[in-house]
Amino acid sequence: MEVEISRRRFLKGSVALSVVLGGAGVSLVAKNEEKSPIVGAYGITKTSQEGIEIPTLCEICVNKCALMARVENGVVTKLDPNPLFPKSKNMLCPRGCAGIQALYDPDRLKYPLIRNGEKGSGKFRRASWNEANEYIKEKMVKILDEEKDNRSAFLFCAGEGMAEHTFKTFFQEFGSSNWLNHASLCLQTVVSGYGVTLGGYPSADLQNAQYVIMSGANRAEAIVTPDTMNLFKKTQGRGAKLICVDPRFSHTAAKADVWLPINPGTDLAFVLALTYVVLDEKMYNHKYVEEHFNDFNAYNEHILKNQYTPEWAEVITGISAKQIREIAREFMLYAPKAIYYPGRRSTFSKSDFQLRRAMAIFQALGGGIDTKGGLVFGKTLKLTEHEASSPIYSQAQARAIRKRDDAKKGERGYEDCAIVSGGGSWIGWRNRFLEGKMPYNVRGAFIYKHNPVLNMPNSAKTIEMLKKMELVVAIDTMPSDTVMYADVVLPECTYLERTDPVNTFGGIEPSLAQRNKVIEPLYDTKPIMEILRGLTQKISKPLFEITQKYDDEVRGAIEDSSVEEIYAEFDLTKPFMVSQEELNTHAVAHYPGADKILKEKGVFYPDMEKMYRQINANEYQYYPENNKFYSVNGGKPKTASGKVECKLEKMADLGVDSMPTWKNEFLFVVPEGKFRLLTGRHAQFTQSGTANNAMLRDLMDENYLWINTRIAKQKGIKFGDKIEVSSKVGKTVLRAYPTEKIGHNVLFFVHGFGSQSQGLTLAYQSGGNDNAVIEDIIEPIYGASVMHETNVEIKKV
Amino acid sequence: MAKYAMVLNYKNCINCKACEVACKEENGILLGASSHRIWVGVNEVAGEFPLLSIASSAFYPSQCQQCGNAPCQQVCPTKATYYDKNGIVQVDESKCILCSYCMIACPYDARYVDDRTMTVDKCNFCGDTRLLRGLKTTACQATCPTKVRTFGDMDDPTSEISEILRTKEYFTLKTSLGTEPKLFYLK
Repeated sequence: MEVEISRRRFLKGSVALSVVLGGAGVSLVAKNEEKSPIVGAYGITKTSQEGIEIPTLCEICVNKCALMARVENGVVTKLDPNPLFPKSKNMLCPRGCAGIQALYDPDRLKYPLIRNGEKGSGKFRRASWNEANEYIKEKMVKILDEEKDNRSAFLFCAGEGMAEHTFKTFFQEFGSSNWLNHASLCLQTVVSGYGVTLGGYPSADLQNAQYVIMSGANRAEAIVTPDTMNLFKKTQGRGAKLICVDPRFSHTAAKADVWLPINPGTDLAFVLALTYVVLDEKMYNHKYVEEHFNDFNAYNEHILKNQYTPEWAEVITGISAKQIREIAREFMLYAPKAIYYPGRRSTFSKSDFQLRRAMAIFQALGGGIDTKGGLVFGKTLKLTEHEASSPIYSQAQARAIRKRDDAKKGERGYEDCAIVSGGGSWIGWRNRFLEGKMPYNVRGAFIYKHNPVLNMPNSAKTIEMLKKMELVVAIDTMPSDTVMYADVVLPECTYLERTDPVNTFGGIEPSLAQRNKVIEPLYDTKPIMEILRGLTQKISKPLFEITQKYDDEVRGAIEDSSVEEIYAEFDLTKPFMVSQEELNTHAVAHYPGADKILKEKGVFYPDMEKMYRQINANEYQYYPENNKFYSVNGGKPKTASGKVECKLEKMADLGVDSMPTWKNEFLFVVPEGKFRLLTGRHAQFTQSGTANNAMLRDLMDENYLWINTRIAKQKGIKFGDKIEVSSKVGKTVLRAYPTEKIGHNVLFFVHGFGSQSQGLTLAYQSGGNDNAVIEDIIEPIYGASVMHETNVEIKKV
Repeated sequence: MAKYAMVLNYKNCINCKACEVACKEENGILLGASSHRIWVGVNEVAGEFPLLSIASSAFYPSQCQQCGNAPCQQVCPTKATYYDKNGIVQVDESKCILCSYCMIACPYDARYVDDRTMTVDKCNFCGDTRLLRGLKTTACQATCPTKVRTFGDMDDPTSEISEILRTKEYFTLKTSLGTEPKLFYLK
């Protein structure tokens, strides 16, 4: 066999990298104040013989892989996988390896900042922590006094991370009702869809599955542990057949046995047709259905009566009826060791919630629930919760949502969506804020590790919202596009400079893992616990005075006892006066030795020392086969009824179809001359959070617009040409990559680029921002952002 | 004394480039498009949408082949490129005169210029970093999410790599040139 292996790196073209040894970068405050603490910008140094290794957890994406940080003379020189962790299984992806650059990025937020220019101008002055907290206090006191102690006048929002919990504690103590997190920009509909149907969002046992349908998930590029590592050692005739369903030829498609380029957004029709075949030919697991299904007959009748045939689906999905039949039959042949992969991603189309329901039910028809090779719930090791009671503010209003006054039974009850979940509808909330449709004034926002300007559709509106807020406090490590619109910036240290709450990782092989501080925080940065300690010490008493002013009950209570006694209940500092290390010790106290092991090795599970052993150079045993938690519920789903819920009558009352139903309104029309825009993830970048990472930019320095080669040729577009992509809501510019990996009326580019923050030396105006173009379309059930229903035009610039 | 080699189960590769980043961080490799010790070979997929060839889009992780009969070593006029006692083709920074004969001679395009050391550098199996610390894996092997690589000593019949080579089918690249590469790709 002759294989030609070239160094061809077509995505880079001939663009030379200009960052090497680029100096200390642009400082938000002033140049030449403090340089990167190590010699040579971007901290790329050869490892030496002397060093220590500290176990910790990665934070470059959501996976939290275990790693060993090598420290030589106080400098972190290398991040290696920590083989002890069953979830990440002895690996560290490109982003994890490049985490050093997050630590030594010269553009990092280094000290507190207070705005001293127009909002969004990027002009800040350096401040002390005391000054910054004082500034926040004064504005807060004014706003809360004017709003008569309505704590909900402040919005709290956060990105995903191990310390999100600490920030959320602040939100709860503060007493606001307005919490928005990443859920409605991310996996809200998938988690909810599986939750109401199977009683939980299951993991996939890809280690033992023999047949995998992966639709709308891209595990070769959107790396999820341990799924990515388990699956791709088995594909292409080596133990698992992989069916990849994706409108574009992704890296997952490149590893698949079958690639089905589906019409975007029609996955629900595909699953309904698979279900039709299985029901029509009665190939489902009869025993499982009899024992573990609710309303099977109704679902059976619904699918057959609606004639969701493969021929019907072929017209909608573009996948041949023959292939749909084959796949349905094969799936059931391999079941229960067959998986319709749940995936975890943002909402692509309005039908997403029902798609997830249909996927979960299809999976269950094969009996592959809570069993080896199927979807599993696994076991979770318990942590002792740290108790904190939150004060009650009688003047605090409920969450700023709006009910529809005219809604009848069977219609959605809220303006934004049918069901309001814990994470809320970010996009719905933002739009109502701008449209003046709030039940009361919301005048300030605390934003933690979150970049809604780049991460939520219609960036222009998010910017407008931030500009209208009277006090925006951003807590972050990097000067993101969102930080640019802050009034006060509180610099958090990076994950390598702090200990975070110990975490439990459930699954087939459950464990605990802990992020341990590797080095002391650089510059004038702090972990969130200490940031909130300083802030609450400053604001707690002044805010209590406002509560006294407007809260008759509090005044009465003070008269009955004393100010000190009542204040103790309203003391915001309490949860933040302890150290994270102490909290972690407390959380794992019921596992003998765990605290010490977590500090020394980063990972703990009972009997680890007996069960953990190396199998070969690359692989380890965590639990012996018989000790793994494949089945924890006797094969039953985890719903309250213990059954798979085919029909949800209660949801029908809220205006949601009780069973997954295809509607013609799900069909998306692309007018002549326009394109449907798709976005997605990349193995070398995490959303917008890594766009300034020098090491990752060395792999791909900007995102490219995928356009079909034949269309590109017609339009005279060549590789590297600058293209303006525009929609109803905005435009962005990026370079073209003509390819046959995508269809004629579809365009794609990776999310996370196109930053407009001048604080990011490398990422500034590099590539295109998808959310500048994606329209703010709200998914009807949970109010998630619909990412793939925007038509765009293109022109060469 | 050892005879170090590497087996690549290339079908596992998802082209994530963790190997590339780990190599650069471990060995302090200069950033820049053409200055890498390790890479993943890719070709644009064959066919027209939607009829594409999955096989044409395979990913080929690669690096210096550590030839047993290395053209780059043979053409080096200053003996800057040499074999160390473990059979690793090494580069002596102090002897390299940047004549670039080795770059032309290498059929695998594995040599590149490091502007800082003014040396035509290449992969050395982490010989002066990890192996020197007594580790048994290269940075690229250790970090790989799908475990493409197994590094080891071919002279030790009990080593994992020896066992793989005894029991699995494999191929080498440009075998007909007689370079005797020590990177073995599993079929």
